Order: sequence, then structure tokens, then C-alpha cells
Amino acid sequence: MMTATGKTIQAGQRPVARLHIAQWILHALLLMMVVVAIFPFVWMVFASLKPFKELVESRDLLPHTWTLRNFEEILSRVNFIAAFQNSIISAVSVTVVSVFSSSIWGYIFSKYRFPGKEILFIIVLSTMMVPFTVVMVPLYVTIADFGLVDQLGGIIVTGFYTAFGIFMMRQFMESIPFELIDAARIDGASEWRIFFMLVLPMSLSPMSALAVFVFLGNWDSFLWPLIVLQSLDKQTLPLVLAGLRNLWWTRYEMWAAGSILTVVPIMIIYSFASRYFIRGIAMTGLKA
Amino acid sequence: MTTVAGRDHREIQRGWRRFWPQLHKVLRKPQFWFSVTMLIPMLAWYWIFSFGPIISAFRMSTVTYKILDPGNSPFVGFGNFIKIAQHPLFLISVKNTLLWAVLSFVFNLPLVMLIAVFLSKVKRGRNLYQALIFVPVVVSLVAVSLLFKMLMDPEVGQLNKLLSVVGLPELQWLSSSASALPTAVLIAAWKGGGLFVVILTAGMLNIPSELYDAALVDGTNAWQQFWRITLPLLGHTIVLVTVLLAIGSLQEFTLPMVLTQGGPGNATYLYNMFIYDEAFTDSRFGTATAASLLQFAFILGISVLQIKLLRPSWSY
Repeated sequence: MMTATGKTIQAGQRPVARLHIAQWILHALLLMMVVVAIFPFVWMVFASLKPFKELVESRDLLPHTWTLRNFEEILSRVNFIAAFQNSIISAVSVTVVSVFSSSIWGYIFSKYRFPGKEILFIIVLSTMMVPFTVVMVPLYVTIADFGLVDQLGGIIVTGFYTAFGIFMMRQFMESIPFELIDAARIDGASEWRIFFMLVLPMSLSPMSALAVFVFLGNWDSFLWPLIVLQSLDKQTLPLVLAGLRNLWWTRYEMWAAGSILTVVPIMIIYSFASRYFIRGIAMTGLKA
Repeated sequence: MTTVAGRDHREIQRGWRRFWPQLHKVLRKPQFWFSVTMLIPMLAWYWIFSFGPIISAFRMSTVTYKILDPGNSPFVGFGNFIKIAQHPLFLISVKNTLLWAVLSFVFNLPLVMLIAVFLSKVKRGRNLYQALIFVPVVVSLVAVSLLFKMLMDPEVGQLNKLLSVVGLPELQWLSSSASALPTAVLIAAWKGGGLFVVILTAGMLNIPSELYDAALVDGTNAWQQFWRITLPLLGHTIVLVTVLLAIGSLQEFTLPMVLTQGGPGNATYLYNMFIYDEAFTDSRFGTATAASLLQFAFILGISVLQIKLLRPSWSY
């Protein structure tokens, strides 16, 4: 009896114990990956707080002499404030307009019927397939025709509609029932009222996901601003940051300080919105 | 003659009479006015900033574009394409870009797959791990480039200091033309891998757990489960990841531009940098657009091929 029960308990316990060990190993491996992903940034934070000599000579992670001189110097020598403003203005205006336009177009493409709708949708989507380098030169000529070269407007107007956003919002709006919209129509609500008071409030979650995508994409965009913006006071953060490379050849503590200044706003947004992000990207994978 | 003309007139009138109420009905619909007011700015915008430039790209690629007098640009047909193919940097950049694409598969796929398996198997803290592993994806590419340029400095960089502590020989990283390209791809994989981890993890979690339970009953080990269940059922997701990787690496620009500016020598000079230089350093808009259209055709071909080759024709 005793041996029999002892045996059954053992047999029941062993896989559980093995499962526990397996989970611990998984945690250890994943922690390793997290360290690989995060550690360079941690190093960069401390690097920006070190004097140049120490950064070059010491192997230690933590600074021996903590200093904010790097930030003072970089803010006095490079117009980071202007670059910050330019980045904010362009990223915010592109985000607001394109999220709004994507919502309206997602709504129309999913809930309205008119001849040629599907063809129009496919044509709009097909622009996603064309690499940016193809339109880069003609777009520059167009922007020049409008007198927007070396103007912040030149990088803003090109972002007002995104095919990706329209696609994403249409996918979501498909899940809003027709009955709801028809009920609102019968109650005498105008189309504008239906869109703003009924459809938009229901779509806040995909809209914020899209907003985060568009904002970060713009905050990070490099090639198009590099082409359009030439004078220093018009440039956005990534351009100014890349310029540090030529301004201070191998003054790494300055590079670190500049990078921190660029990265901090993104990290603030990400710490709030990481859930949206991951979910949004996971969804694209499942839809394919 | 007059009778025929009169009959035509009557028919038009009759047609109009039939057509008008329909039109009137549409015009009275509030949906019509809502969508038209939205349609007009959108179509105008797309015409000016999207379709228009795509169409003029095709036109531009057949002329020697005169920037100051575009109307008088002489037509050269396929001349620009021939000129591009004969450019000394064309083959170099094509070779580098293809090598970049191949290496990014090698560096990305196995590791990303492994992390996704870990994440799909771990029971607690998955969201936190994912959020942290995803951090490099959201951080500015320029900042990441500068960061690794610092870490990989052959003289004072931390990575070489680390290697010498462990007793390994110090590396040249981005400073030698032999190791610059693989090193840059490694950085790109570090930066972009999180994206594919998230997509693959979602795909793996989407596989019904009954399949694994059944496999467990049949006495399979984790290795067999991966090869027989996870991998085959992940077919679509893997195709997506492959296409994203290929298209992304064929269009790489910012990272090599900031890291190495194409050097040392031309070791990391990629095709997009070639197009950029052709257009905005040498101001040859016609040949630059021709080069970009070649890239477009290639990418289109690869996407179609990959989807056709890799799409599994069966399911469980």
C-alpha cells in the first residue's frame, strides 16, 4: 500500500518538477535575451554621464565622475531644441491628419457601397508595394514645384494619407455591425454625426495603435527628411543626430548624450503604449 | 436625315428621363455627399503625391532629365537602364545588397525562431519579456547606429575591451572591409529581430494546444514537436516574415549610411545608397529613377516567387 501510493505520488510529481525546471531554464534564456536587447542602452545612458577621458579609458559601466557637462555642451553647440520642435511639429501633424484620414477612409471602404470601390481600394493599397526610392525623385520634383524644399511642410504633406492606415482601419471597421449605423440613420443622425459620435468612439483602440505606429515611423524617418531639409535649423532630430558624427568625430560622450535626447521621448511613449504595439504587430502576423 | 436625328433626340430624352430619377436619388443621399467631400481631397492628394510620382517615375526613367528645363529633357528610351548597368558602382552595390539580404536571413531567422519558441512556451511574464525584447525595434535607427559605432570602435570600443578581458582576439568590426558588412547586418538583426519575434510568437500561440497534447500522448519530445507541428503550421507566418525580411533588407539605407557611409572602401555600399547618390549627389534624376525601377521589378519578382514557393498547399 505504502509503496504503491508512494509510487503514484512520485509518478505524478516528476513531470511537474521537470516542468518547473524547464520553466526556470526558459526564464534564464529569456532573461539573457533581454539583457542582450537592453544592455547597450543602459551602457549608453551611463556613457552620456561620463567625461570623454573616462569613456575611452575605463571599462567600468558606472561613471567614476558623474557629469552633466555633456548635455550642457551639446545643447549649447547644437540646436537640439529646434530639431526637437521640428520633429514634434512634423510627427504630430502627420499623425493627427493621417489617423483621421485613415479612419474616414477605412469607414467608407468598409461600410459604403459605390461603383469602383474595390478597384479604388486595390489601387490605394498597391501604392504600398512600390519602394520609396521609386517615388523619391519625382516626389522631390513635385515638392519643389510647390516651393516646399527645405520647408518642414515638405515632409508633412507627403504623409497625410497612408495606405497601411486605410487598410488597418478598414479591417477594424468591418467588425462594426451595419445595423448600428442603420439604426442611427433611422434616428435621423447625419452621416457626419454617425461618423464622429458613433464610429470614431468605437474605433479608439485601433486608432491609437495606428497613431503610435505613424508617430514613431515619422519620428524615426531619415531618407526623405535628408532629401527635403537642408538648412540646419529646419532639420529633424535624426538628421541632427547623424550630423554629430561629422561635427564631433569620435567624441563618443557627445554622441551618447545626443542619442539619449532623441530616444527619451520614444521611450516615454513606448512605456505607455508597448501593449498596443505588440498587439498590433502580432495581429498583422495572424492576418497574413 | 431629320427623322433619324429626331429619333436620336427623342431617345436621348427618354434615356435622360430614365436616368435622372436615379441620379436624383443618389444626389439626395447624405452618404453620397459625405463620401464625395472626403473622396475629392483624397483623390487629389493621391494624384499629386502618390500615383502622379509613380507615373512620372516611369516617364522620368526614359529621359535624360534636365533639372532646370524638364520640358526639354531628351528621350533616350532604355538608355538610362544601360547607363546604370554600366556604372562602376552598380554591380558592387547589387552584390553587397544581395549579400546583406542573405546574411540577414542567416542572422535573423534561427535566433528569432528560437526566441519565439521560448516565448510561446514560457508561462509567466511573456508580455514583459516581449516588451523588453522589442525595445531595439522602436529606438531611433540613427541612435542605434551611433551606439554601435561607439561600442565597436576598434581602439576604445567596449566590445573589444570585453573580448580582451575574456582573452579573445580583438576584432576590427566596422573598420575592415572584410568584416564591415557582416557586422552591419548583425546590428540590423539586433535592431529589427524583435519585430519578427512578436509576429512568430503570435503565430505559435495561435496553434491549437490540442495538437501538442496529442503529440505528448504519443510520446514525442520537444524537438519532434517543433519540426512536426510548430514549423509546418507556421507556414504562412514564416512566409510573411521571409517576405518582410527580404523587402526590408533590399531597401536598407539609414543604417549603413550612418554607420559607415558605404565604407570602408565600398564594402557596405548598398543599392539604395547608389540610387540616392545618383539622384542627389550627382543630380542624374533619369538614371536614378531607372535604377529604382530595376529594384522595384526585382522586389516584386521576389515577393511573388517567395509566396508561390513557400505557401504550403496543405494543412492539418
